[in-house]
Amino acid sequence: MKEIDALNLPEDVRYAEDHEWLRPSEDAARIGISDYAQDQLGDIVYVELPAVGRRLTKGEEFGTVESVKAVSSLYMPVGGEVTAVNEQLAEAPELVNTDPYGQGWMIEVKVTDVAEVAALMDRAAYLKALGG
Amino acid sequence: MTAPAADRGRPCLLVDLPPMPYTEALALQHRLVAGRIDGRLDSDVVLMLEHAPVFTLGRRGGLEDLIVPRDRLTKAGIVVAAAERGGLITYHGPGQLVVYPILDLKTLGIGVRELVTALEQIMIDTAADFGIVADRDARNRGVWVGEKKLGSIGLAVRHGVSFHGLALNVDLDLTPFSWIHPCGLAGVAMTSLAAQGGIGVSMNTARRRLARHFASVLGCPLTLTALDTLKDLKTGP
Repeated sequence: MKEIDALNLPEDVRYAEDHEWLRPSEDAARIGISDYAQDQLGDIVYVELPAVGRRLTKGEEFGTVESVKAVSSLYMPVGGEVTAVNEQLAEAPELVNTDPYGQGWMIEVKVTDVAEVAALMDRAAYLKALGG
Repeated sequence: MTAPAADRGRPCLLVDLPPMPYTEALALQHRLVAGRIDGRLDSDVVLMLEHAPVFTLGRRGGLEDLIVPRDRLTKAGIVVAAAERGGLITYHGPGQLVVYPILDLKTLGIGVRELVTALEQIMIDTAADFGIVADRDARNRGVWVGEKKLGSIGLAVRHGVSFHGLALNVDLDLTPFSWIHPCGLAGVAMTSLAAQGGIGVSMNTARRRLARHFASVLGCPLTLTALDTLKDLKTGP
């Protein structure tokens, strides 16, 4: 398990309480899970993602991630319409562990309300929430 | 976050349930998890019970690992139920101790991965009380005696609250396991505390021993509680 100061927490994404991240963008904001989350889960063996075109509200479950012997729910950090999912994760779910903010991204959404993005935590606030 | 949380050591409620159909226990877990998430339930809860005979599938399914025709199950009075836990197909039945820890992992200060390891340790320590040397296998999680599987783990987590849990074979008819590839593993034989010649094996003793090791491994003293005291949650979502 990583120490908090060893976590990779980039500045260009915003964070949600349930450890998802969102990289703000006009029409295609990417969402994934943080380095802290992947580290707590351990080796990820399966990622279940929603259908493209689905509209989900903030806090709604958008999928699950299965680490060894445990299935954890994933929650929308903001409301929006799913415009793309990372098809690569079907064959290579371990990308969530090795590159959580890059190749391990999960879904892309068209954000319904940008105010919800602003309400997410920045790096400093997330770090504080983690107790660092 | 490897250090224990400050309030680790606060009591956790242990509920000894009567034998219960799988779907009923699942609905109970959902109510307790919802209550733990929204704060109506301010303690962790550990459910201990036995199930009526049932094959359960993991989130990813596992019906392909059922190796006998479905009507054979019907004749034997065994149902198949879907579950949202990790892992693949498994069997539960009378004589198997099932433990569902509904724990707020953040308060407890542990991650999912650590919980899997802890549940393995709890089963290993319980087996040791009956004179049985059990061990883990890093490639195939769960608890093993040599090449045979003694206990299984399958968890689910919502908003940092765990449910589903572990199943320890105490003293049961192991035949239904031969109708599946347990957890998707072909050629795996199952065993039980009784089949391993455990000393003084009984369901009651196994429950008490496991409760003690649960408290010690996870650092949360267990207070035996009647389900009725959680009844306010029964109207929950």
